[in-house]
Amino acid sequence: MSTVLVITPLIIANWSVISAAVLGAVGTLGFTAVAEALHDDLHETRPTRTEIDIEDSEILEAAAGTDQQIVVERDGVRAVFSRDARGALRLCMEGKGHSKSQLQQIGEELIGRVTQQYVYHRVVTELQEKNKVIVSEEVSADRTVKIRVRNW
Amino acid sequence: MAEELEIEISPTGQVTVRTIGIKGAKCLDAAEFIARIVGHEQSRELTSEYYEAELQVQQHLNIRNRQSP
Repeated sequence: MSTVLVITPLIIANWSVISAAVLGAVGTLGFTAVAEALHDDLHETRPTRTEIDIEDSEILEAAAGTDQQIVVERDGVRAVFSRDARGALRLCMEGKGHSKSQLQQIGEELIGRVTQQYVYHRVVTELQEKNKVIVSEEVSADRTVKIRVRNW
Repeated sequence: MAEELEIEISPTGQVTVRTIGIKGAKCLDAAEFIARIVGHEQSRELTSEYYEAELQVQQHLNIRNRQSP
């Protein structure tokens, strides 16, 4: 028997933390970071495009980084992470031969993994700072991360 | 029994925290510690372990009251 809390994550971080979470997460879905200029061939014909705003997010304004973006690609699908005018994280998905709903689905999966990576890093860092002992850590087949902590 | 927290982070980033072997209000404190780090609480379930310590205090008080003249 136990107490059970279900928590909806909130992403509040500066761009460097967001970047680390994005780059750490996208590889698990087969995406790789690219330099945008190298892939102009993607735009020879107009690609389908959709934008997703991550409501529960805030990218803290800092001297550097707020105008930057991270571009990742997989099989002709490009995903661009950036900070929108309100300071929230925005994901722009585009790709030829894909419908908007397909891009939306891929985008939401990407956002999920980025959020998971951010939350994992945040929780583990905080636990270590409070000298809590992580006794086990595992990743299940559905990519759920399970951490057991002692020393309460 | 060791006092532990089990933290599950789903592929969408949703977090589920379960306390194991932590009795009374302390188990809620432990779970809320994680909630404060992660975001906002969506739901909570307090089961028998939470009420166990409070029940013991109540039983102790009842016994004392019965013994009083």
